[in-house]
Amino acid sequence: MNKENLELNVAIFFCQQLDPDQDSNRRVIEKELGPGIKFFPLPCSGRIEPLHFLHAFESGADLVYLITCPVKSCRYQQGNVRAGKRIAFAQNLIREIGLDPERLILINIDPPLPKRIDLLTRELLEGAPVKGHSLLSRL
Amino acid sequence: MPVKYHIHTAPVPNRFPTVIRSGVIAWEEGCLKCPKCVKRECVYGVYDKRGLDSRLMSDSLDSLCKDCFRCVQNCPNRLIHKALNPDYKNLGDHYWTPEIISKLWFQAETGRIPVSGAGYGGPFSGSGFDAMWTDMSEIVRPTRDGILGREYISTQVDLGRKHQALEFDTLGNLLSPPYPSVEIPIPIIFDILPWSPPRDRINHTLLRAAKKINTFSIITQEDWHPSLQRYLNHIMLYLTGDPEGFDKEILKKLRLIEIPDGLKVLEIQKWLKGINPEAVIAVRIPLNPQAKDRALELTQSGLEILHFMADEFGRDQGEAPLFIKDRIKEVHLHLVKNGFRDQITLLAGGGVAMAEDLAKLIICGADAVTVDIPLLVALECRVCRRCAEGIPCPVNIAQIYPPRGQARIRNLIAGWYNQLLEVMGAMGIREARRLRGEMGRAMFFEDLEREIFLPLHKRN
Ligand code: SF4
Repeated sequence: MNKENLELNVAIFFCQQLDPDQDSNRRVIEKELGPGIKFFPLPCSGRIEPLHFLHAFESGADLVYLITCPVKSCRYQQGNVRAGKRIAFAQNLIREIGLDPERLILINIDPPLPKRIDLLTRELLEGAPVKGHSLLSRL
Repeated sequence: MPVKYHIHTAPVPNRFPTVIRSGVIAWEEGCLKCPKCVKRECVYGVYDKRGLDSRLMSDSLDSLCKDCFRCVQNCPNRLIHKALNPDYKNLGDHYWTPEIISKLWFQAETGRIPVSGAGYGGPFSGSGFDAMWTDMSEIVRPTRDGILGREYISTQVDLGRKHQALEFDTLGNLLSPPYPSVEIPIPIIFDILPWSPPRDRINHTLLRAAKKINTFSIITQEDWHPSLQRYLNHIMLYLTGDPEGFDKEILKKLRLIEIPDGLKVLEIQKWLKGINPEAVIAVRIPLNPQAKDRALELTQSGLEILHFMADEFGRDQGEAPLFIKDRIKEVHLHLVKNGFRDQITLLAGGGVAMAEDLAKLIICGADAVTVDIPLLVALECRVCRRCAEGIPCPVNIAQIYPPRGQARIRNLIAGWYNQLLEVMGAMGIREARRLRGEMGRAMFFEDLEREIFLPLHKRN
């Protein structure tokens, strides 16, 4: 994992369909990164609101991910599509307030499901943009 | 008539939003902008009070919604759905189920008895405590109405050794000196938590609550701190290390002391009695298939309290684990059979999750019950056991403000107390002491199956 990213505060929102054992799988990472990582399982990724992202940044997150299920496999049919629209909206808001919109990242994972959330997170953090601490978390 | 024991309650809101069974999924896109939106018509005003808790990213929609499904049914464009809340599914485990945890939260918040409204929709029987039913033959007698009735139902129990019979000399003088004894107004003692974040504030919280309801909280020797001295009347000190290394001045003032079972148990008891003859000594014994023989042996040796501990799921340590209620029943009946039951106090703990478990364990033979995990749940614990794995607690219980935590535990115990009164009232029993071992007033599923259903099967 990129060493600089280990120091960052990361918030990960994800659809519960991704990993039925998410609560036990994510503990390895929670233990490793301590309070620096926060997982927020959602009943459906379409449940997300731009406000969730803004709150995450406000609470000190440097990187915020939203992981949705693969295209066409949303149980509510359009949840992941709507999640994409909301993330675009939130990125605009973030840009407007002077933050870097690239810190908010949408991941549409590829089939098949399920995926282990801990492995997925490692992969994400490995390839995460090296951004350093966000303006808000430095305040 | 004695002054009626009563625990005053007042609502204590949660620090974190509660986790409820389902989550609302409401799309905004595609909204027809109806003049009368179903969201505005929500009778609970859930959509009007909407807010987001940024610590857990939980939407108030999910903690306020009452699952009436009116909005889901009535939105003309089908934009509102309900889904199982992943956080709810992950509360607790197979034993400490999300339903139990939510009920405990409700009691800690309100101090009230949870009622399920339109009848009980659960299964007829289950495992553990659910395989036992208590008699309710007197439920219609208004004077015995547990909580509001005119007859006083006493839940007081005595902890300590008792004489089998009093002896007098020829002049009528009492020859049997009384044993020291401790009375508690409710048959509940707070036990050591099986896991928790650092316990500094938690111990203060438990002791404050123990003081409030006039019972005891077990504090281990390692957790002892001079700042706890003000609670000495409510501490049951568990001496896990070398007792001689512990401050003797403190030992002299304690009313209840617990020691682990072992080869030197009689020796340690004698040593402690030498320092504080008025203290009642308990022995903490793991519950296992040998429990009944050990109970008899220790009772015959003159011990005062035997505290049997099952694991956090109520199982004993046998190869094919037996549930606590069944093992305690065995211990109780073995002591009865040998004529020693009334001399000793039996405490039992492990897996006690709800008020009914408390009553059922007493019916199976315990004098009083020790409670652990529900106390942590009253402080908003999710029973995720992250603290046991060294992962930060999602609800930061280590930082609990003791007066607030105390009030929540008080509420929980008040709810349990009222439920105990209800059970006893319905059974027609006015004394918790008389509830002990009243197995004839309860039905056990295994017995019913053997006595009623098995012969039916045989006939066919
Ligand atoms: S919520 Fe989890 S981490 Fe916190 S005290 Fe309870 S079991 Fe431990």
